[in-house]
Amino acid sequence: MADMNTLARPYAKAAFEFAISEGKLAEWSAMLGLVAEAASNKEVANLLKNPSLGSEDKAEILLEICKAKIDDKGRNFILLLSEKDRLPLIPVIAEIYEAFKAEQEKSVEAEVTSAFEINAEQQKLLVDALRKRLDREVSLKVVIDKRLIGGVVIRTGDLVIDGSIRGKLAKLAESLKS
Amino acid sequence: MQQLNPSEISDIIKKRIGNLDVTSKAQNEGTIVSVADGIVKVHGLGDVMYGEMIEFEQGAFGMALNLERDSVGVVVLGDYLGLAEGQTARCTGRILEVPVGEELLGRVVDALGNPIDGKGPIDAKETDAVEKVAPGVIWRQGVDQPMQTGYKAVDAMVPIGRGQRELIIGDRQIGKTAIAVDAIINQKNSGVKCIYVAVGQKQSTIANVVRKLEEHDALAHTIVVVASASEAAALQFVAPYAGCTMGEYFRDRGQDALIVYDDLTKQAWAYRQISLLLKRPPGREAYPGDVFYLHSRLLERASRVNVEFVEKFTDGKVKGQTGSLTALPIIETQGGDVSAFVPTNVISITDGQIFVESAQFNAGIRPAMNAGVSVSRVGGSAQTKIIKKLGGGIRLALAQYRELAAFSQFASDLDEATRKQLEHGQRVTELMKQNQYSPMSIAEMGVSLFAAENEFLNDLKISEILPFEKALHSYMNSEQADLMKQINETGDFSKEIEAALKSAVEQFKATQSW
Repeated sequence: MADMNTLARPYAKAAFEFAISEGKLAEWSAMLGLVAEAASNKEVANLLKNPSLGSEDKAEILLEICKAKIDDKGRNFILLLSEKDRLPLIPVIAEIYEAFKAEQEKSVEAEVTSAFEINAEQQKLLVDALRKRLDREVSLKVVIDKRLIGGVVIRTGDLVIDGSIRGKLAKLAESLKS
Repeated sequence: MQQLNPSEISDIIKKRIGNLDVTSKAQNEGTIVSVADGIVKVHGLGDVMYGEMIEFEQGAFGMALNLERDSVGVVVLGDYLGLAEGQTARCTGRILEVPVGEELLGRVVDALGNPIDGKGPIDAKETDAVEKVAPGVIWRQGVDQPMQTGYKAVDAMVPIGRGQRELIIGDRQIGKTAIAVDAIINQKNSGVKCIYVAVGQKQSTIANVVRKLEEHDALAHTIVVVASASEAAALQFVAPYAGCTMGEYFRDRGQDALIVYDDLTKQAWAYRQISLLLKRPPGREAYPGDVFYLHSRLLERASRVNVEFVEKFTDGKVKGQTGSLTALPIIETQGGDVSAFVPTNVISITDGQIFVESAQFNAGIRPAMNAGVSVSRVGGSAQTKIIKKLGGGIRLALAQYRELAAFSQFASDLDEATRKQLEHGQRVTELMKQNQYSPMSIAEMGVSLFAAENEFLNDLKISEILPFEKALHSYMNSEQADLMKQINETGDFSKEIEAALKSAVEQFKATQSW
C-alpha cells in the first residue's frame, strides 16, 4: 500500500497542479472520481489486470466506460497512464488528488461515531468546535454505533478524539491493570 | 484458589480510580499494514516522533524507528503474536521510559524495568527517558578517583578511574564476565552502585551471575537488567540504554555508579537484525551505517560530572559532590580477531581495554589478561598512590620478561642478570594470578606488590608464591591491622609506611609459616 502511494503521488500531483492552472479543480475531481470508481469495479479491475490485453486496450475500455464525462485533457491523462502501464493506480491517484484538493480548500471530513442519533443542533455545535480546533472547513459524516454506550468518537485523518464511555472504561481498565 | 496480587488492595484500587484522568484527549491513530518478524508497518500516525512509544491493541507497545513518507516502521517491544493487519496503533506522545531510583537496587528487571525476580512490584517514584544525550563538555570533570576492581593485575597495570569507560575484550569462555562481576562484588563497601546489563545471554548464565552476586552480598547494591537471548531483538537493543538511564540516576545525584554491559556484541547483532528488517541498507559485516553511533552515544553517557552539574540537576539539594558513571563494556571476539568491525569501533570509543587471551587462560593464568596490550588511557591519574608507586615496576618486569622469554628459547646458557630477570618475571606472573570471587583490598594488593618489588619472593619456589601471599595477607590482617587500616583509608605510600611494611614482611618471613 505504501508503495502504491509512492508510485501514484507524482501523477496525482501533476493532475492537481494542472487542474489548478486550468481552474478546473472540481471537474478534475469528478472525472478522477468517476474513472476511479469504474476502475475499482470488480470486472473492470479484473480486465485491467488481464495480461492478454495491451495497455492501449485497457485505456480504451476505461475511456469507453466514462466517455460521457471525460474531456480531452482527462483523456490524455488516462492515455499517459496506460503508456506507463500505471492504470491500476487510478483509485490511489484519485484518493491522493482528493487529499491535495482538501488541503488546498482547507476542508476536512470528520467522521463522528456516536452511540445515539445526533440532531442538527448538536451537529452544528460539533462542526463549530472542530472548525476552531482544526482551522479547516469541516464536513461531518455521522455513524451510529451502539457499542460506544455513550458519547462520541471524532475521527479526522489520523486524529482521533475519543469521548465515548467505552473509551473511558478501557482507560479505567488499563489503569487498574498497570 | 486464586490469589490476591499486592496491587489489588482496596485502598490502592480506590486511589487509582480517583486519579484516573477521563478527559478525552486528541490522539493520533494509524492502521497496521503489515506485521513481520517483530517489525510493524503502520499507515497513518501523521504526528509521530522518532523513538516515540506506539500503543497497539491488547496493550502491546512498540517504538517508532523508521519514519517514512507513507508509513511508519515500528519495532514491537515484546510479544507481537496478538498483532494483526488492520488493527489500530496509537501515538502516546511519550518516548520510551524506564523506572529509576534506589528502589531498583537488589532487583532483577527486564529491559523495560519490570521486575522478573518474583519479589513483587517495584515502587519506583520516578521514571526517566531511555535515550538521553550525554552531559556536555562544560559539565565534565577529569577522572581522578580510583574504581577498585579488586584484581591486583587490573588495579596495578590497567587502573580504572570513576567515570572511565574500560573495555573488556576477548574470546568466549575465558573470564571476561568474571572480571566484571568481581568488580561489582568489590564495590560492596565502597558505596558505588552497580548495574549489570545482560544482553542476549543464556537465562542459565544470568541466573548464575545473580546467584553469585547474592552469595557474595553484592546484589543489595546492584540492579540486574536482563534481555536474554529468547527476548525480542528490540528489547536486547534497548536494554543497555535502559541500564544506562538507571545508572545516570545515581550519577546525576552526586553518587558513583558502575555499569557493566555484557555484552555489546550481542546488542550490535540485535540492532543489525532490527535494521535489516526495517530495510535499512547493510554495510560492513551487514551492520547498518549507524552501528558506531549505537555504541558511541551509549558509552559517552558514562562520565564524571562536576559539582556544578550535580547542583544544577538537583536544584542545589546536593552540594559539593561530583557524580560518576563508570562503564565496563564487554565485547566478545571470534578467535581473538580484534580487527572485526564492532571490536575496533568499541576499542576506539573507550578509554582503554583489558585484553583477555585464550593463550594466557590455557597457560593457567587467571585473570587471563594480556598485560602487554591491555591499557588504560586515563586511569593512571586516578590510581591510589601506593599501588601506583609499587605497581609501576610490575608492568615493566612483565614486559621485559615477555621479551626475554621469547629470546631465551633459543639460548641455552644465560648470563646471571638475564636469568635473574627471567625468574623475577616468572614470579611476578605467578603473583598476578588471582582466584575468582576473592577481590583484594588496597592494602592487600599493596603488600603483595611490595613483596615482589623488594625481592622478598626471590628465594621462594614458583609454586610457593600463592600460598605465601595468602599466608602473608592473613598475617598482615591479623597482626598488622592498624597499618593495613591506615593504608586502606589513605592509600598513601610514605617513608614511614614503607619502613613499617618492610619490617612487617621481614617479621612474617622469619616465621617461615606458609
